[in-house]
Amino acid sequence: VSPARGVQPLRDGGYGLRLDRHERELLGVLAADLEQRVRDDDASVARLFPSAYEDDPGADEEYRRLTRGSLTDGRLRALRTLRETSTAVRLDQQEAHAWCTAVNDLRLVLGERISVTEDIYERAIDRRDPRAPELAIYGWLTWLQSSLVDALASRL
Amino acid sequence: VVVTQTIEAPSRVGRPADEESREQDRPWIVVVWNDPVNLMTYVTLVFQRLFGYGRPQAERLMLQVHHEGRAVVSSGTRERAELDVTRLHAAGLWATMQQD
Repeated sequence: VSPARGVQPLRDGGYGLRLDRHERELLGVLAADLEQRVRDDDASVARLFPSAYEDDPGADEEYRRLTRGSLTDGRLRALRTLRETSTAVRLDQQEAHAWCTAVNDLRLVLGERISVTEDIYERAIDRRDPRAPELAIYGWLTWLQSSLVDALASRL
Repeated sequence: VVVTQTIEAPSRVGRPADEESREQDRPWIVVVWNDPVNLMTYVTLVFQRLFGYGRPQAERLMLQVHHEGRAVVSSGTRERAELDVTRLHAAGLWATMQQD
């Protein structure tokens, strides 16, 4: 019997990470790619910076001016933690939360790009779908995110 | 001139000032909108962590977002609402604010 894959709460307060080497490489690559795009303020990361005021463009512009810097810094910090600890076998509480934020950001940006819908989990990926490779990565990120959330929620 | 001003001030300023303060007193609400990416368990976790809600209340709000498309998750002064929206945006949730 082998231990469950993914993220497990440990007795010492940390979190155990059971992932393959290739999964870790993929996380490092995805994190570095998104870091670059957030730094470049690429159009593909717009979903990470939504409007606060729907009907007041002036107030929204002011909100963005005031918060954009700290929101960008927070996202880059989380992505860097994910990249730098992608080979770790144990995460502390802060690192686990950073992983949760960063993996969710990866899903948000990828999900937006391939236009995922809520029913995506209800059927197998159609291999003829041109989005199939990205849907598969999205599905794997969703499994990892789910495992992270369950582990973190068990400590609340 | 000085006398005229002091006499006029209370009657002229009175009502608009009241209306203005009532306008300012109306609380701001923070709305979280449904989206197809954020996981139900993740949204529940975010509500618990950011607002200190117990699991039942966090789940109730998450389900309201999921089924009705939106839920009011907090309210208060404009500054408070803006801080909550920023924290929700940092967590990747789709949140907006408006005056109630």
